[in-house]
Amino acid sequence: MTTHRLNIAGVTKSFGPVKVLHGVDLKIAPGSVVGLLGENGAGKSTLMNIVSGSLRQDAGHLHLDGTELALQSVRDGIDLGIRFVHQELSTIGSLSVAENIFLGDYLAGRAGVIKRRDMAARSQEALASVGLDRIDPNTIVETLRPGQQQLIEIAKAVVVQPRLLILDEPTSSLTSVEAAKLFELMRKLAADGAAVIFITHKLEEALNNCDRIVVLRDGALVSDELADQTDKARLIHHMVGKSSVFEWKGSAAKASDAQISIRGLCDADAHLSPVSLDVGAGEVVALFGLVGAGRTEFMETLFGFRKAAGGEVFIHGRPLRLGHVPTSVRNGVAMVPEGRKVRGILPSHSVERNISASNLDRLSRFGLMRAGAEQGAAADLAASLRIKMENAKQVITRLSGGNQQKAVFARAVMVEPRLLLLDEPTHGVDVGAKSEIYEIIHELALKGMSVIVSSSELPEVLAIADRCVVFSQGEMVGSLTRSEMSEGEILRLAFANH
Amino acid sequence: MTQEVTAAMTVEAQSIKKLLKTLLARRETSVAIILLLVVILMSFASEYFFTQRNLLNIGRQASVVAIVALGQTLVIIARGIDLSVGSVIGLSAVTGAIVAQTTGSQVLGIGGALGAGLAAGLFNAVLYTRFHINPFIATLGTLSIARGLALLMTGGIPVSFNGWASWFGAGRIADVPVSLVMMFLLAVLFFFLATRTRAGRNIYATGDNPTAARLAGIDVDRTRVLVFAVSGLLAGLGGLILAGNLNSASPDLGRGYELDVIAAVILGGTALSGGRGSIPGVILGALLMALLGNAFVLLGISSHWQVVTKGLVIVLAVGIDGIQRGRED
Ligand SMILES: Nc1ncnc2c1ncn2[C@@H]1O[C@H](COP(=O)(O)OP(=O)(O)OP(=O)(O)O)[C@@H](O)[C@H]1O
Ligand SMILES: [Mg+2]
Repeated sequence: MTTHRLNIAGVTKSFGPVKVLHGVDLKIAPGSVVGLLGENGAGKSTLMNIVSGSLRQDAGHLHLDGTELALQSVRDGIDLGIRFVHQELSTIGSLSVAENIFLGDYLAGRAGVIKRRDMAARSQEALASVGLDRIDPNTIVETLRPGQQQLIEIAKAVVVQPRLLILDEPTSSLTSVEAAKLFELMRKLAADGAAVIFITHKLEEALNNCDRIVVLRDGALVSDELADQTDKARLIHHMVGKSSVFEWKGSAAKASDAQISIRGLCDADAHLSPVSLDVGAGEVVALFGLVGAGRTEFMETLFGFRKAAGGEVFIHGRPLRLGHVPTSVRNGVAMVPEGRKVRGILPSHSVERNISASNLDRLSRFGLMRAGAEQGAAADLAASLRIKMENAKQVITRLSGGNQQKAVFARAVMVEPRLLLLDEPTHGVDVGAKSEIYEIIHELALKGMSVIVSSSELPEVLAIADRCVVFSQGEMVGSLTRSEMSEGEILRLAFANH
Repeated sequence: MTQEVTAAMTVEAQSIKKLLKTLLARRETSVAIILLLVVILMSFASEYFFTQRNLLNIGRQASVVAIVALGQTLVIIARGIDLSVGSVIGLSAVTGAIVAQTTGSQVLGIGGALGAGLAAGLFNAVLYTRFHINPFIATLGTLSIARGLALLMTGGIPVSFNGWASWFGAGRIADVPVSLVMMFLLAVLFFFLATRTRAGRNIYATGDNPTAARLAGIDVDRTRVLVFAVSGLLAGLGGLILAGNLNSASPDLGRGYELDVIAAVILGGTALSGGRGSIPGVILGALLMALLGNAFVLLGISSHWQVVTKGLVIVLAVGIDGIQRGRED
């Protein structure tokens, strides 16, 4: 009998009355990369939390290299070489990169004094392995972008060669270049004998970089195939029970004059060269760029979250006062920010209250919340976005990551904005729900809403955009119409200033 | 048949168990239980305890802490903290007394006390929202500034303050102390504010995740100004009541009050990390603090023990809560 690196047998798990895992069996050989796919709420993160020791299974057994795992804590797992990079960022913003990488395992001398120099040196190696060679280990983490922070967490997991590495949606905030580097790293770790479990909602990534792909549906394993013997359509079918791929549906843009007019907008931190952009009613404009291209800065400045250094914005002809988010929302601008844990959700609030948070004006009269109005409005949106939950009064952090994202999306949609700003709106959202979100964007556009969506996924850009605006190093370097749009052309522009 | 009955019973037992579990999961419940235990113990230990006079006295003592704590609750739910309330009590009392004395107008005296409280609250709010000084530091500064001003204004000597102020501090409406009536009215008002109004929602959202709240279009700065202003105003009212009760405004009035107030808020289940908290809980917390004070007096125990016990009760109540909540981080 060969021993498996990881052997999961009959694992079940319930949260209260809800059974989330129904007896999962999965064997993983050392040196292999296994893709774990499944819809939002299928139980992927829960299963991995059990493997890594942060949750305990109700029934079933786990073996690591033939010995039974009885982890009491994540610490126990780490000591055995099980590293889990979570779906949500968990870097500590106020610490330096090196301190984050060695968090919990500071290199210290005999008197407990931390050896900064050694830590910095070893951090540098780990950073290089994830493609962050240019980052100084002494940088404070919160000054870095979410994608870079994600890479730092991965670096932390591989400072010591792991026996089992679990990556829960690691690529959702990475650019294609960074992701490619990560795949290389996964391969190298596998070649050195590690087993890698890779969770993603991007099917191509799984198909191109895994040896095997397993699909979890409603807490049970429904398929286990070799990557080169399956394809996208089959995987989607396994995941959702039907095939659902969103395709470009034609433009909803009306040939009227510009509804949203942005003139020479630049931010106070000088990340941006002045941006001018017109967006028509019903037009969907995608912003593409590499990390650091300035898309988030642009959107947040436009939205009033960052201070503007100059420029003007007109919404339906009326000038918008910049630098004050409540004013923007009142004038019909809403935003789904990037990074749901840090900037999206209100973690102690119910799903319902998370959805209604931008709409308190309309849901109240003379400052008093109107009885029932909130429940009704939130329930409608939750249903139309198919948010998977027990009930709307549930605390939002009890939802799976993708479903939390849908709730944040619902919040912005509820505003019925004239201009909807979406910064990576489908992060962590499964294929089925992704096409539902695209569908909703299309419907909103048909009603005349202007949409600016920042996306690092080219297929997403090609599926929804009427126009693609490309940013490079803080500068808007080009604008491609539907007929000019192609992966090659978009990427060529994205590298314009590099 | 018997099987059905047992089945029905287990279902019932289960739902009761569930109800108990949800109740016990709230810190208000542990505070209410401690409150009840102290009442039961005291009713055996002292025959004087259950007299109307004593109970109203406890109520009156609780009322000032509770009133000031209502404002503090909103501040803490919004992820701030107001350390200046004790000093603001003193500053408001002496301002009111001096204004009343110099102008001879009762109305202006009351207005002066409340106005000084509100001004101090707004000062905190400006330090926080305009100058981006962390509220712990900003209000620590105000704590010192306000106390210093009160001392400067009076030269350290108490000023007499009676007339309408004594009605606030020692008056009765149908035998019930005015301050207790006020506490109830304000508690109802604040309960309503916290649960039914847009401003209440803004406060919870701001405390839960300020960045997300801002991006959702909530006016985080205005919300912060509101909570600090309210906290200051209520500290002003507290000063009025305390001074009125003594017929004199001492510049030392309210020294150390911030600890009792914050303790009542925390006992009441409000999370220092913001975003969570309830008004009924705070009232329970304030009542428990006053009840303990009364118990020590009746039992003739040294007031030094009182200080120790107050601390223990806070640690106990919050500890029970923490254990139940488990390791959530
Ligand atoms: N702490 C919890 N309490 C109650 N229910 C939970 C808890 N954590 C997860 N769940 C529920 O368990 C189910 C599975 O969640 P899980 O996070 O494992 O999904 P997932 O497959 O990782 O989804 P996603 O792709 O959206 O991240 C969901 O329905 C979720 O609501
Ligand atoms: Mg997940």
